[in-house]
Amino acid sequence: MNPGIRERLVLTAVGWIAAGLIFFPVFWMVLTSFKTEVEAVQTPPSLFFTPTLENYAAVRERADYVHFATNSVVISLGATLLALVVAVPAAYAMAFFPGKRTKDLLLWMLSTKMMPAVGVLIPVYLLFRDFGAIDSRWGLIVVYTLMNLPIVIWMLYTFFKEVPKDILEAGRMDGARPRQEVWLLLMPLSLPGIASTALLSIILCWNEAFWSLNLTTSAAAPLTTFIASFSAPEGLFWAKLSAASTVAIAPILVFGWMSQRQLVRGLTFGAVK
Amino acid sequence: MNSISIQAPRAGVLVRRGRRRVGRGLPAALALLPTALVVLVVYVGCMLWTVRLSFTGSTLLPRYDWVGFAQYVRLFANDRFLTSAGNIVIFGILFITGCLILGFLLAVFIDQNVRGEGVLRTIFLYPYAMSFIVTGVAWQWFLNPGLGLQKLMRDTGFPGFTFDWLVNPDMAIYTIVIAGIWHGAGLTMAILLAGLRGVDSDLWKAARVDGVPAWRYYLSVVLPLLRPMVVTATVLLATGVVKLYDLVVAMTLGGPGISTEVPAKFVMDHLFERNNIGLGTAAATIMLIAVVSILAPWVYARYVREEGGRV
Repeated sequence: MNPGIRERLVLTAVGWIAAGLIFFPVFWMVLTSFKTEVEAVQTPPSLFFTPTLENYAAVRERADYVHFATNSVVISLGATLLALVVAVPAAYAMAFFPGKRTKDLLLWMLSTKMMPAVGVLIPVYLLFRDFGAIDSRWGLIVVYTLMNLPIVIWMLYTFFKEVPKDILEAGRMDGARPRQEVWLLLMPLSLPGIASTALLSIILCWNEAFWSLNLTTSAAAPLTTFIASFSAPEGLFWAKLSAASTVAIAPILVFGWMSQRQLVRGLTFGAVK
Repeated sequence: MNSISIQAPRAGVLVRRGRRRVGRGLPAALALLPTALVVLVVYVGCMLWTVRLSFTGSTLLPRYDWVGFAQYVRLFANDRFLTSAGNIVIFGILFITGCLILGFLLAVFIDQNVRGEGVLRTIFLYPYAMSFIVTGVAWQWFLNPGLGLQKLMRDTGFPGFTFDWLVNPDMAIYTIVIAGIWHGAGLTMAILLAGLRGVDSDLWKAARVDGVPAWRYYLSVVLPLLRPMVVTATVLLATGVVKLYDLVVAMTLGGPGISTEVPAKFVMDHLFERNNIGLGTAAATIMLIAVVSILAPWVYARYVREEGGRV
């Protein structure tokens, strides 16, 4: 539909107001993180103030923030890499050599994504205890990989399906071995898709709290656990909590902004092109 | 088109020169094996293990005795569990409906060719990229009567303004719904927008010639065409409902009292704080059964439709 110019201006204004409203809680949180604790709960709330970095300094000192951030980075990247290593061959097989049961297998794997995680929590916890994996980075990496594997395979599968088979076949005619076919032809051709998938996996790992809250205490605890530990029910230390949260979402906001297309495609599980 | 649908493998794919097919097909099957095994062993195995534990009297450590349905009897006499179950139903219905309505409105809006569409789309989608923990923290502050919205309104000249749902046991669950909708509406928008883009613009021209108002056009013509996208969005949102845990932990910790308890939190609490594996696994089993019974007809319908339709 193509409305007239005036309507269009109104619509644009409404759009930005809506965006502002939606973004307001985040904006306010970021703003609060630069205030002192007193300013943060001041009446009336101040929009103009002298920004301070004291909360960030406090957060860093108080809870060894760098340690948690490192855990988040290592675990997210580790789990994403591991998931891709397992998923690329699987998705390749499904997309180019589908058997009678391929569709069933895909549906099966996706359906596990819908099952409640608490349904497997207790056995996983017991296994973790037996293997000494509680509060370890590798333990979380394994769990996150398993958690995201169905989605990662599914997404790669949809991307691989878009790659023209003729190109791979031409490569085969020229004597490419399966590994070369995947590395030299398929991966470069579906790079945006792989990037979307990796971004989604990183975001899911980064945001994950269910498993990390229950399987880690301190040594391997990522940022989500850190923030949850900060969150006092009465909103004490609001400015510091805001600083901690801001730090936790900043990489995603910045990273997401730089790769908007991949973000949209990734977050909608490849449904939106 | 853009919906998440599993396509039937095309018949022609396997017809290649015989030896090459075997040579390629075998490693392909091997590549699938670890994944298939993981799905089977880890998921199914752990679920069965959970079910088994729910028939034992396990407390701090797992025991493998047999107490029949004793845990389930206790479970359904447990106020905390009944509240949790009620809450997840309330949350599920309101959250999915809310996200669909708001997401549809946002999608229709963006479809008007507004300026800066890409930027707006990303901003609308941003909440979905944030963790439930941060979402919970941000909203906990925003809805806190002494700190956020209520204070802001009173300070700016509305002394009678009251919005204390967060600390009101009867209303607290709805604050979680609000935060949830804020988190999920953007995702719904993005999916429905993709669908809107696929709608033939001639339809609108025809509707306008007939004097159909815009809202009527979107409701009666466009919405039915978007059915696959609505289904996709609903499925994705529903998986979020089942997982509802971290949002509650960050926002209310189940309070005030037990008013915002949810099943996932019930299971965790009984495993870690109350040392009652038996009761916890019984609750987890009920959740599994609930999800399977919702999922089964859908999967079945899908199978029947696809098998009958395309293959």
